[in-house]
Amino acid sequence: MLRDFTRGLWEENPTFMQLIGMCPVLAVSNAAINGVAMGAATTFVLVSSSIVISLLRNIIPREVRIPAYIVIIATFVTIADLVLAAINPAVHKVLGLFVPLIVVNCIILGRQEAFASKMPVGRSILDALGMGLGFTWAITFLSIIRELVGMGTIFGKSILGTEYVQWVIMILPPGAFLTLGILVGLINTLKRRRVVEG
Amino acid sequence: MREYFRLILVLTVISLISGGVLAQTYKFANPRIEENREKDTERAIIEVLPGISTFESVAIDGQIFYKGLDDRGRDVGVAFIVEAGGFQGVIRMMVGVDMESRQITGMKIIEHLETPGLGARINESWFQDQFKGKSLNDKFIPGEDVDAITGATVSSRAVSDGLKNSINRLLDLINSGKFTNVDMEGDR
Repeated sequence: MLRDFTRGLWEENPTFMQLIGMCPVLAVSNAAINGVAMGAATTFVLVSSSIVISLLRNIIPREVRIPAYIVIIATFVTIADLVLAAINPAVHKVLGLFVPLIVVNCIILGRQEAFASKMPVGRSILDALGMGLGFTWAITFLSIIRELVGMGTIFGKSILGTEYVQWVIMILPPGAFLTLGILVGLINTLKRRRVVEG
Repeated sequence: MREYFRLILVLTVISLISGGVLAQTYKFANPRIEENREKDTERAIIEVLPGISTFESVAIDGQIFYKGLDDRGRDVGVAFIVEAGGFQGVIRMMVGVDMESRQITGMKIIEHLETPGLGARINESWFQDQFKGKSLNDKFIPGEDVDAITGATVSSRAVSDGLKNSINRLLDLINSGKFTNVDMEGDR
Protein backbone atom coordinates (compact mmCIF):
# COMPACT_ATOMS: atom_id res chain seq x y z
CA MET A 1 0.00 0.00 0.00
CA LEU A 2 2.74 2.42 0.95
CA ARG A 3 4.46 1.71 -2.32
CA ASP A 4 1.53 3.33 -4.08
CA PHE A 5 2.71 6.54 -2.46
CA THR A 6 6.48 6.21 -2.70
CA ARG A 7 6.45 5.15 -6.34
CA GLY A 8 5.67 8.65 -7.53
CA LEU A 9 8.40 10.20 -5.44
CA TRP A 10 11.31 8.46 -7.12
CA GLU A 11 11.03 5.20 -9.11
CA GLU A 12 8.19 6.43 -11.25
CA ASN A 13 8.76 10.14 -10.75
CA PRO A 14 6.62 11.81 -13.42
CA THR A 15 9.25 14.38 -14.36
CA PHE A 16 12.57 12.54 -14.14
CA MET A 17 11.57 8.94 -14.80
CA GLN A 18 8.34 8.92 -16.75
CA LEU A 19 9.15 12.19 -18.53
CA ILE A 20 5.53 13.31 -18.67
CA GLY A 21 3.93 16.65 -17.81
CA MET A 22 7.02 18.51 -19.01
CA CYS A 23 5.30 21.64 -20.27
CA PRO A 24 4.82 23.32 -16.88
CA VAL A 25 8.14 21.94 -15.66
CA LEU A 26 9.93 23.85 -18.40
CA ALA A 27 7.72 26.91 -18.49
CA VAL A 28 7.10 27.68 -14.85
CA SER A 29 10.38 26.68 -13.23
CA ASN A 30 12.03 30.08 -13.64
CA ALA A 31 11.72 30.87 -9.94
CA ALA A 32 11.46 28.66 -6.88
CA ILE A 33 8.16 30.08 -5.66
CA ASN A 34 6.58 29.48 -9.07
CA GLY A 35 7.68 25.86 -9.04
CA VAL A 36 6.19 25.30 -5.60
CA ALA A 37 2.92 27.02 -6.51
CA MET A 38 2.54 25.05 -9.73
CA GLY A 39 3.36 21.81 -7.92
CA ALA A 40 0.79 22.57 -5.24
CA ALA A 41 -1.93 23.42 -7.76
CA THR A 42 -1.21 20.32 -9.83
CA THR A 43 -1.19 18.08 -6.75
CA PHE A 44 -4.52 19.52 -5.62
CA VAL A 45 -6.08 18.81 -9.02
CA LEU A 46 -4.51 15.36 -9.20
CA VAL A 47 -5.70 14.26 -5.77
CA SER A 48 -9.22 15.71 -6.06
CA SER A 49 -9.90 14.30 -9.48
CA SER A 50 -8.43 10.93 -8.49
CA ILE A 51 -10.84 10.76 -5.57
CA VAL A 52 -13.86 11.59 -7.71
CA ILE A 53 -12.88 9.34 -10.59
CA SER A 54 -12.05 6.46 -8.31
CA LEU A 55 -15.43 6.80 -6.59
CA LEU A 56 -17.18 6.90 -9.95
CA ARG A 57 -15.06 4.23 -11.61
CA ASN A 58 -17.88 1.71 -11.88
CA ILE A 59 -20.40 4.27 -13.03
CA ILE A 60 -18.60 5.97 -15.89
CA PRO A 61 -18.92 3.81 -19.02
CA ARG A 62 -15.66 3.05 -20.82
CA GLU A 63 -16.79 4.69 -24.04
CA VAL A 64 -17.15 8.14 -22.52
CA ARG A 65 -14.43 7.93 -19.92
CA ILE A 66 -12.09 10.45 -21.55
CA PRO A 67 -14.65 13.27 -21.85
CA ALA A 68 -15.90 12.48 -18.37
CA TYR A 69 -12.39 12.61 -16.88
CA ILE A 70 -11.61 15.83 -18.71
CA VAL A 71 -14.76 17.52 -17.41
CA ILE A 72 -13.94 16.48 -13.87
CA ILE A 73 -10.29 17.51 -14.16
CA ALA A 74 -11.19 20.83 -15.80
CA THR A 75 -13.64 21.57 -12.99
CA PHE A 76 -10.98 21.14 -10.34
CA VAL A 77 -8.48 23.16 -12.35
CA THR A 78 -10.96 26.01 -12.63
CA ILE A 79 -11.61 25.83 -8.91
CA ALA A 80 -7.86 26.01 -8.27
CA ASP A 81 -7.53 28.94 -10.65
CA LEU A 82 -10.41 30.93 -9.13
CA VAL A 83 -9.35 30.26 -5.56
CA LEU A 84 -5.75 31.21 -6.31
CA ALA A 85 -6.86 34.43 -8.00
CA ALA A 86 -9.00 35.28 -5.00
CA ILE A 87 -6.50 34.43 -2.28
CA ASN A 88 -3.08 35.16 -3.77
CA PRO A 89 -3.36 37.44 -6.80
CA ALA A 90 0.42 37.95 -6.94
CA VAL A 91 1.22 34.27 -7.47
CA HIS A 92 -1.80 33.88 -9.71
CA LYS A 93 -0.52 36.64 -11.95
CA VAL A 94 2.87 35.02 -12.21
CA LEU A 95 1.58 31.54 -13.02
CA GLY A 96 -0.82 33.12 -15.48
CA LEU A 97 -2.07 30.83 -18.16
CA PHE A 98 -0.21 27.79 -16.90
CA VAL A 99 -2.82 27.08 -14.25
CA PRO A 100 -5.58 26.43 -16.81
CA LEU A 101 -3.02 24.37 -18.75
CA ILE A 102 -2.92 21.88 -15.87
CA VAL A 103 -5.98 20.35 -17.55
CA VAL A 104 -3.82 18.97 -20.33
CA ASN A 105 -0.99 17.94 -18.05
CA CYS A 106 -0.37 14.32 -18.99
CA ILE A 107 0.33 13.36 -15.42
CA ILE A 108 -3.27 13.91 -14.42
CA LEU A 109 -5.05 12.15 -17.25
CA GLY A 110 -2.34 9.52 -17.19
CA ARG A 111 -2.85 8.63 -13.54
CA GLN A 112 -6.62 8.52 -13.93
CA GLU A 113 -6.36 6.12 -16.84
CA ALA A 114 -3.66 3.99 -15.32
CA PHE A 115 -4.77 3.93 -11.73
CA ALA A 116 -7.73 5.84 -10.33
CA SER A 117 -10.19 4.39 -12.82
CA LYS A 118 -9.30 0.88 -11.68
CA MET A 119 -8.36 1.14 -8.03
CA PRO A 120 -10.25 1.88 -4.83
CA VAL A 121 -10.26 5.36 -3.37
CA GLY A 122 -7.67 4.79 -0.66
CA ARG A 123 -4.99 3.55 -3.04
CA SER A 124 -5.91 6.20 -5.60
CA ILE A 125 -5.36 8.95 -3.06
CA LEU A 126 -1.94 7.58 -2.13
CA ASP A 127 -0.96 7.22 -5.78
CA ALA A 128 -2.12 10.75 -6.57
CA LEU A 129 -0.31 12.21 -3.56
CA GLY A 130 2.88 10.39 -4.46
CA MET A 131 2.82 11.49 -8.08
CA GLY A 132 1.83 15.01 -7.15
CA LEU A 133 4.57 15.39 -4.56
CA GLY A 134 7.05 13.74 -6.94
CA PHE A 135 6.18 16.32 -9.56
CA THR A 136 6.34 19.12 -6.99
CA TRP A 137 9.78 18.31 -5.68
CA ALA A 138 11.07 17.80 -9.23
CA ILE A 139 9.83 21.14 -10.49
CA THR A 140 10.88 22.93 -7.31
CA PHE A 141 14.38 21.43 -7.50
CA LEU A 142 14.67 22.56 -11.10
CA SER A 143 13.33 26.01 -10.19
CA ILE A 144 15.82 26.45 -7.38
CA ILE A 145 18.71 25.66 -9.71
CA ARG A 146 17.44 27.96 -12.43
CA GLU A 147 16.68 30.82 -10.05
CA LEU A 148 20.02 30.45 -8.26
CA VAL A 149 22.17 30.43 -11.39
CA GLY A 150 19.92 32.75 -13.37
CA MET A 151 19.32 35.43 -10.76
CA GLY A 152 21.48 34.60 -7.77
CA THR A 153 18.46 34.24 -5.50
CA ILE A 154 16.38 31.44 -4.03
CA PHE A 155 12.76 32.25 -3.18
CA GLY A 156 13.63 35.87 -3.80
CA LYS A 157 16.40 35.94 -1.19
CA SER A 158 19.76 36.95 -2.56
CA ILE A 159 22.21 34.10 -2.04
CA LEU A 160 25.10 34.87 -4.34
CA GLY A 161 25.34 38.56 -3.59
CA THR A 162 24.99 41.61 -5.78
CA GLU A 163 28.34 41.12 -7.51
CA TYR A 164 27.13 37.89 -9.07
CA VAL A 165 26.90 38.06 -12.84
CA GLN A 166 23.53 36.55 -13.64
CA TRP A 167 23.23 33.91 -16.32
CA VAL A 168 19.93 35.30 -17.57
CA ILE A 169 19.60 32.47 -20.05
CA MET A 170 18.87 30.15 -17.14
CA ILE A 171 15.52 31.78 -16.50
CA LEU A 172 14.64 31.75 -20.18
CA PRO A 173 13.37 28.69 -22.12
CA PRO A 174 16.82 27.49 -23.27
CA GLY A 175 17.90 27.39 -19.64
CA ALA A 176 14.93 25.20 -18.82
CA PHE A 177 15.84 22.67 -21.47
CA LEU A 178 19.51 22.70 -20.54
CA THR A 179 18.91 22.22 -16.83
CA LEU A 180 16.27 19.54 -17.30
CA GLY A 181 18.41 17.69 -19.84
CA ILE A 182 21.43 17.67 -17.55
CA LEU A 183 19.36 16.53 -14.56
CA VAL A 184 17.69 13.70 -16.48
CA GLY A 185 21.09 12.66 -17.82
CA LEU A 186 22.57 12.61 -14.31
CA ILE A 187 19.67 10.62 -12.93
CA ASN A 188 19.86 8.10 -15.77
CA THR A 189 23.56 7.65 -15.08
CA LEU A 190 22.74 7.05 -11.41
CA LYS A 191 20.08 4.53 -12.37
CA ARG A 192 22.38 2.66 -14.71
CA ARG A 193 25.12 2.44 -12.14
CA ARG A 194 22.69 1.03 -9.60
CA VAL A 195 21.50 -1.61 -12.07
CA VAL A 196 25.07 -2.62 -12.87
CA GLU A 197 26.03 -2.84 -9.20
CA GLY A 198 22.73 -4.43 -8.11
CA MET B 1 -30.25 1.90 -27.21
CA ARG B 2 -29.95 1.48 -23.47
CA GLU B 3 -26.21 1.73 -23.87
CA TYR B 4 -26.42 5.14 -25.53
CA PHE B 5 -28.86 6.32 -22.94
CA ARG B 6 -26.45 5.44 -20.16
CA LEU B 7 -23.55 7.20 -21.88
CA ILE B 8 -25.57 10.36 -22.35
CA LEU B 9 -26.98 10.26 -18.84
CA VAL B 10 -23.64 9.85 -17.10
CA LEU B 11 -21.94 12.63 -19.07
CA THR B 12 -24.88 14.97 -18.60
CA VAL B 13 -25.04 14.44 -14.86
CA ILE B 14 -21.29 14.88 -14.45
CA SER B 15 -21.40 18.08 -16.48
CA LEU B 16 -24.37 19.46 -14.55
CA ILE B 17 -22.73 18.80 -11.22
CA SER B 18 -19.44 20.31 -12.43
CA GLY B 19 -21.28 23.38 -13.65
CA GLY B 20 -23.02 23.75 -10.32
CA VAL B 21 -19.83 23.39 -8.31
CA LEU B 22 -18.06 25.93 -10.50
CA ALA B 23 -20.93 28.40 -10.19
CA GLN B 24 -20.65 28.20 -6.41
CA THR B 25 -16.88 28.59 -6.48
CA TYR B 26 -17.25 31.60 -8.73
CA LYS B 27 -19.74 33.16 -6.36
CA PHE B 28 -17.23 32.80 -3.57
CA ALA B 29 -14.17 33.87 -5.52
CA ASN B 30 -15.37 36.65 -7.76
CA PRO B 31 -16.04 39.33 -5.14
CA ARG B 32 -12.54 38.78 -3.78
CA ILE B 33 -11.03 38.91 -7.24
CA GLU B 34 -12.81 42.19 -7.92
CA GLU B 35 -11.64 43.52 -4.58
CA ASN B 36 -8.05 42.60 -5.35
CA ARG B 37 -8.27 44.34 -8.68
CA GLU B 38 -9.65 47.50 -7.08
CA LYS B 39 -6.98 47.44 -4.39
CA ASP B 40 -4.32 47.16 -7.07
CA THR B 41 -5.76 50.10 -8.96
CA GLU B 42 -6.03 52.15 -5.78
CA ARG B 43 -2.48 51.38 -4.78
CA ALA B 44 -1.27 52.36 -8.23
CA ILE B 45 -3.16 55.66 -8.16
CA ILE B 46 -1.72 56.59 -4.78
CA GLU B 47 1.74 55.74 -5.98
CA VAL B 48 1.63 57.85 -9.14
CA LEU B 49 -0.08 60.84 -7.51
CA PRO B 50 2.02 61.49 -4.44
CA GLY B 51 0.44 63.57 -1.73
CA ILE B 52 -3.22 62.79 -2.38
CA SER B 53 -5.59 61.65 0.31
CA THR B 54 -8.52 60.61 -1.89
CA PHE B 55 -9.47 60.35 -5.49
CA GLU B 56 -12.61 60.43 -7.60
CA SER B 57 -13.15 58.69 -10.87
CA VAL B 58 -14.54 60.56 -13.83
CA ALA B 59 -15.37 59.21 -17.24
CA ILE B 60 -14.54 61.43 -20.17
CA ASP B 61 -14.97 60.31 -23.76
CA GLY B 62 -15.15 56.70 -22.70
CA GLN B 63 -11.97 56.74 -20.65
CA ILE B 64 -11.80 56.75 -16.89
CA PHE B 65 -9.69 59.40 -15.19
CA TYR B 66 -8.89 59.39 -11.50
CA LYS B 67 -8.87 62.90 -10.09
CA GLY B 68 -6.55 63.09 -7.10
CA LEU B 69 -7.52 65.33 -4.18
CA ASP B 70 -5.35 66.40 -1.30
CA ASP B 71 -6.61 66.67 2.26
CA ARG B 72 -8.11 70.10 1.56
CA GLY B 73 -10.11 68.83 -1.39
CA ARG B 74 -7.97 70.54 -3.96
CA ASP B 75 -7.00 68.89 -7.21
CA VAL B 76 -3.52 67.46 -7.13
CA GLY B 77 -3.41 65.68 -10.44
CA VAL B 78 -5.02 63.18 -12.71
CA ALA B 79 -4.24 59.48 -13.04
CA PHE B 80 -5.30 57.14 -15.78
CA ILE B 81 -4.57 53.69 -17.09
CA VAL B 82 -2.50 53.19 -20.22
CA GLU B 83 -2.49 49.94 -22.15
CA ALA B 84 0.22 49.11 -24.64
CA GLY B 85 1.12 46.07 -26.70
CA GLY B 86 4.34 44.66 -25.27
CA PHE B 87 6.59 41.86 -26.42
CA GLN B 88 4.54 39.04 -24.92
CA GLY B 89 1.20 40.66 -24.21
CA VAL B 90 -0.59 43.72 -22.94
CA ILE B 91 1.29 46.07 -20.62
CA ARG B 92 -1.01 48.00 -18.31
CA MET B 93 0.31 51.00 -16.44
CA MET B 94 -1.03 53.74 -14.23
CA VAL B 95 0.19 57.23 -15.06
CA GLY B 96 -0.13 60.32 -12.92
CA VAL B 97 -0.09 63.78 -14.47
CA ASP B 98 0.10 67.22 -12.92
CA MET B 99 -2.02 69.45 -15.13
CA GLU B 100 -0.57 72.77 -13.95
CA SER B 101 3.08 71.95 -14.51
CA ARG B 102 2.22 69.66 -17.44
CA GLN B 103 4.48 66.98 -16.01
CA ILE B 104 4.23 63.30 -15.21
CA THR B 105 4.09 62.76 -11.46
CA GLY B 106 4.64 59.03 -11.63
CA MET B 107 4.25 55.83 -13.58
CA LYS B 108 3.61 52.34 -12.29
CA ILE B 109 3.36 49.10 -14.21
CA ILE B 110 0.20 47.27 -13.12
CA GLU B 111 0.23 44.24 -15.35
CA HIS B 112 2.57 42.77 -17.89
CA LEU B 113 3.60 39.48 -19.43
CA GLU B 114 7.11 40.45 -20.47
CA THR B 115 10.13 38.18 -20.37
CA PRO B 116 11.64 37.78 -16.90
CA GLY B 117 15.09 39.31 -16.68
CA LEU B 118 14.58 41.36 -19.83
CA GLY B 119 11.29 43.06 -20.67
CA ALA B 120 10.05 42.40 -17.16
CA ARG B 121 12.60 44.92 -15.97
CA ILE B 122 10.07 47.62 -16.86
CA ASN B 123 8.85 46.78 -13.39
CA GLU B 124 12.06 47.98 -11.78
CA SER B 125 12.02 51.28 -9.92
CA TRP B 126 14.74 52.94 -11.97
CA PHE B 127 12.77 52.41 -15.15
CA GLN B 128 9.49 53.68 -13.74
CA ASP B 129 11.03 56.52 -11.74
CA GLN B 130 12.69 58.06 -14.79
CA PHE B 131 9.28 59.26 -15.94
CA LYS B 132 8.74 61.36 -12.81
CA GLY B 133 8.92 65.03 -13.63
CA LYS B 134 8.93 64.38 -17.35
CA SER B 135 7.25 67.04 -19.39
CA LEU B 136 4.16 66.05 -21.34
CA ASN B 137 5.70 67.63 -24.41
CA ASP B 138 8.76 65.38 -24.43
CA LYS B 139 9.43 62.98 -27.28
CA PHE B 140 9.29 59.73 -25.26
CA ILE B 141 11.80 57.98 -27.47
CA PRO B 142 13.94 55.17 -25.99
CA GLY B 143 17.60 56.01 -26.46
CA GLU B 144 16.87 59.72 -26.58
CA ASP B 145 14.85 61.00 -23.67
CA VAL B 146 13.98 57.60 -22.24
CA ASP B 147 16.46 55.10 -20.78
CA ALA B 148 15.70 51.79 -22.45
CA ILE B 149 16.40 48.31 -21.11
CA THR B 150 19.31 46.55 -22.76
CA GLY B 151 18.01 43.56 -24.69
CA ALA B 152 14.40 44.66 -24.28
CA THR B 153 13.85 47.17 -27.03
CA VAL B 154 10.27 46.17 -27.73
CA SER B 155 9.18 46.42 -24.12
CA SER B 156 10.91 49.77 -23.61
CA ARG B 157 9.40 51.15 -26.79
CA ALA B 158 5.96 49.79 -25.95
CA VAL B 159 5.94 51.67 -22.67
CA SER B 160 7.25 54.89 -24.21
CA ASP B 161 4.85 54.77 -27.16
CA GLY B 162 1.93 53.91 -24.92
CA LEU B 163 2.71 56.87 -22.69
CA LYS B 164 3.21 59.24 -25.63
CA ASN B 165 -0.05 58.22 -27.30
CA SER B 166 -2.19 58.51 -24.20
CA ILE B 167 -0.62 61.82 -23.24
CA ASN B 168 -1.41 63.14 -26.71
CA ARG B 169 -4.97 61.95 -26.28
CA LEU B 170 -5.12 63.70 -22.91
CA LEU B 171 -3.79 66.93 -24.39
CA ASP B 172 -6.37 66.65 -27.18
CA LEU B 173 -9.14 66.28 -24.63
CA ILE B 174 -7.89 69.33 -22.75
CA ASN B 175 -7.54 71.44 -25.88
CA SER B 176 -10.95 70.46 -27.14
CA GLY B 177 -12.41 71.56 -23.83
CA LYS B 178 -13.78 68.17 -22.87
CA PHE B 179 -11.90 68.34 -19.61
CA THR B 180 -14.24 71.01 -18.31
CA ASN B 181 -16.15 68.84 -15.90
CA VAL B 182 -12.87 68.04 -14.20
CA ASP B 183 -11.91 71.03 -12.11
CA MET B 184 -8.30 71.67 -12.97
CA GLU B 185 -7.86 75.11 -11.47
CA GLY B 186 -6.24 73.99 -8.28
CA ASP B 187 -8.32 75.73 -5.64
CA ARG B 188 -12.05 76.00 -5.26
